[in-house]
Amino acid sequence: MLEGLVGKLADTPWSIGLHESLYLYAITESTHVMSIMLFVGTIATVDLRLLGISYNSVPVSQMLSRMLPWTVAGFILLVITGAMLFLAIPIRTYHSLWFRLKCIMILIAAVNIAIFTFKVERDKAAWDLGPVPRKSKVCAAISLSAWACVIVFGRLIAYNWFDCDSITSPTMAELTGCPLDPG
Amino acid sequence: MSLYHTAQNLEASALGQTIRESTWLFPAIESAHLLALALLGGSVLILSLSILGVGLKISPALIFKSARRYMDAAVIVLLATGLLLGISEPVKLYGRQAFLVKMISLVVALLVTYAAFNPLIKRGASGLAMRSVTVMTMAAWLMVAMAGRWIGFS
Repeated sequence: MLEGLVGKLADTPWSIGLHESLYLYAITESTHVMSIMLFVGTIATVDLRLLGISYNSVPVSQMLSRMLPWTVAGFILLVITGAMLFLAIPIRTYHSLWFRLKCIMILIAAVNIAIFTFKVERDKAAWDLGPVPRKSKVCAAISLSAWACVIVFGRLIAYNWFDCDSITSPTMAELTGCPLDPG
Repeated sequence: MSLYHTAQNLEASALGQTIRESTWLFPAIESAHLLALALLGGSVLILSLSILGVGLKISPALIFKSARRYMDAAVIVLLATGLLLGISEPVKLYGRQAFLVKMISLVVALLVTYAAFNPLIKRGASGLAMRSVTVMTMAAWLMVAMAGRWIGFS
């Protein structure tokens, strides 16, 4: 079903237009990369504080309230440009192993954010300037690793090592949703 | 020896060849380059946003004490990985306008950051001069990143 949807997406004039445009695709991808500075950059500073490694003169509550709006702004830019990049090359991206791994990492990061928001930061008033509790450090470490993986896997989507035409093992065919080449 | 010859010699160097011929070396270096980009963005932004009054309400000089080591580390990793990427395909880069634009904006960004932005913050400067330098710093690094991505398209 998902595959049919992706196929339909690829046939839309929007997809073809983006794919064939001289500058729009390049501008979209450049904006996507630059937004990393805003999104992962601000996340990294917040995480370094939550790890208790740096910015310890800044109260945790202030770090969250003053930096996270910029993280959200970066996220909105990344989602819009990311959706456009997917729309431009839907079928290949859908089958990309790196894209699939990237989505899994984003999912892990999202669950981590939910746990932090609903459990970990609840009692942050108690450690606003004091020593950071272990649970906060764990969340920050997961966040840093997950987003680093998102960046790396995202970059690797560009490489064709595991494109459908070079899949030969049943496991890889399973993982990428590609048809297994009988040859 | 002309610049083009230098590019050809670099391209023929053992290091250049090793990176170019390896499947995963170029992507790995590229990934490190991007991770450092995020770190640089974070350390410049946490300072800039505070100076412009839309970030932390802590003195930028105090934030700088933590931010500077990440900024320096990110710049070092970016320069080192950038150099390796460049050595692997200098002849291609030689003729690319985007690469020239990136190198010029990189020099500007490094100068503005290390000769104006950082010293002014350390001195506790504020006002129009500090804010102008801040906007210039952000714009310069944005230009470097944009031109950098553009190398791949040109």
